[in-house]
Amino acid sequence: MGDVIVAGVGLHPWGKFPEKSWVEMGAEVALGAVDDAGMEWTDVEAMVSGAMQWGGSTGMRSGNTIAAALGETGVPIANINNACASGGSLMRAAYAMITSGMHDSVLVIGTDKSPKGYFPSVPVLADEPRPPVDMVRWQVGVPNPAYWALEMRKRMEAYGSTEEHLAQVKVKNSRHGSLNPYARYRKAFTMEQVLASPMVCDPLRLLEICATSDGAAAVVLVSDKKARRLGVSPLVKVAACSLASGEFGDPTIRIPLLAAASDGAATAPLLSESRLAAQMAYEQAGLGPEDMDFVELPDNSSWHELQYLETMGFCGEGEAEKLLDAGETALGGRLPVCPSGGFSSFGEATMAQGILQIVEVTWQLRGTAGARQVEGARKAITEVYGAQANNSACILTT
Amino acid sequence: MKQTPVLEGAFVSDPEPALVGSRCRTCETVAFPASFTCPNPRCAQKDVVATPISRTGRLASWTTVHFPPPPPFVAPDPFEPITVVEVEFASEGIQVVGPLAGASAEGLRMGMAMETVVEPYYSDDSGEVIGWKFRPAEGDADG
Ligand SMILES: [Zn+2]
Repeated sequence: MGDVIVAGVGLHPWGKFPEKSWVEMGAEVALGAVDDAGMEWTDVEAMVSGAMQWGGSTGMRSGNTIAAALGETGVPIANINNACASGGSLMRAAYAMITSGMHDSVLVIGTDKSPKGYFPSVPVLADEPRPPVDMVRWQVGVPNPAYWALEMRKRMEAYGSTEEHLAQVKVKNSRHGSLNPYARYRKAFTMEQVLASPMVCDPLRLLEICATSDGAAAVVLVSDKKARRLGVSPLVKVAACSLASGEFGDPTIRIPLLAAASDGAATAPLLSESRLAAQMAYEQAGLGPEDMDFVELPDNSSWHELQYLETMGFCGEGEAEKLLDAGETALGGRLPVCPSGGFSSFGEATMAQGILQIVEVTWQLRGTAGARQVEGARKAITEVYGAQANNSACILTT
Repeated sequence: MKQTPVLEGAFVSDPEPALVGSRCRTCETVAFPASFTCPNPRCAQKDVVATPISRTGRLASWTTVHFPPPPPFVAPDPFEPITVVEVEFASEGIQVVGPLAGASAEGLRMGMAMETVVEPYYSDDSGEVIGWKFRPAEGDADG
């Protein structure tokens, strides 16, 4: 099985762009990534694209919509929606197309415009025999951050984590984000400012929960043969690309469900899909958490950052706060976490955020991340957090 | 006033308010809301029956939601924060989320006994939508 190489990347600044359509944003990053790879649009052999639910039926076929704008070339296009895990799912699909020998180059693209505030429910068939649970959970009144807050309160009870720990995650990531010209929020917040922001779902405050954004990102993956022909240098290799789903007996109450195995009866770990996806990635790469120079994890909320440090194997249960307190997860520390600034600085654009992480890691491994460069970065892992127990992790090396 | 359950078959009011789930006849796995099948991947029989869930459980977590959720949540104007609680039912091996009956989270503490009640969620032109809520219980929880 030949290596898969990141030949080109493209990123749109993230924020709110009411004057610009998601199609224009997608076309821009598609051409940006193709150009960065030293290729032409007509050289792309296949395309996988995030199926964007907020864009309606043309959004669900976003790849075809973007291809029609840039000029149709007849290549295979697959549109995938795996919630926030879409980016990793697209990466894995492209990875498989290349390792199988089907194609030598695949464009991976995610472009998304998100509604403001809590993610709303998506329209459903009115004449189903029973309403889907996603309707019921909204009637009950459980927005996404409430699921995270329920887990965070358990964590505070079990390990003595404090509101200051939650704020500190934001302080750190906002400092990283202030160094990233593509980030939506570039203000470095102080502890006092974070703690003064309104409570949303206690103990999680507004500044400790990522916003919803418009964003787009694209990557061109190629075979090693094609990379040599293109003269790609340095070679950023996709060492692993995993995808996992939840396990029966997991105590996590998953968005948008209303129940789970109780903590006492659980036969699988919290966030079983995320733990599995990380383990599968380490196994595929033949590397472990100790080999990683930095990590881009899903800081959808401050709870996520603390929990994923444990879920991804960087420390034992209840120990993430110690890493944070010791400054080990900040730029300059032993294991910088989210040097890009993370989703807390970019906001969520679900189809694109997994690809955003790949773009950041590629820049870091090329040594072109500017003021936020992780010194000597050679290996990194990315992981997202997808609704309804979908998750993916990627390891890139150079 | 016409009363409509937020989810048909998910709870009963008589003789006492309680959640209703499904229980597998073979492996005893309980699901809420009820499923048409057994969610245990290692269970081959998949034969389930409706089962009432213990009336009382223990408080596993809670959060107060300070901004109104979007529709189909029906928010009163002005919006009053709501508290969502997670209750563990040890006998059934599940934990379930639902609204706290009564407005305030004051006095909630981990592990306290909680009981299921059935109350209105909201009313509109077609009547009242009712569903399960949880409130602190007198005495000890089952299990
Ligand atoms: Zn069974």
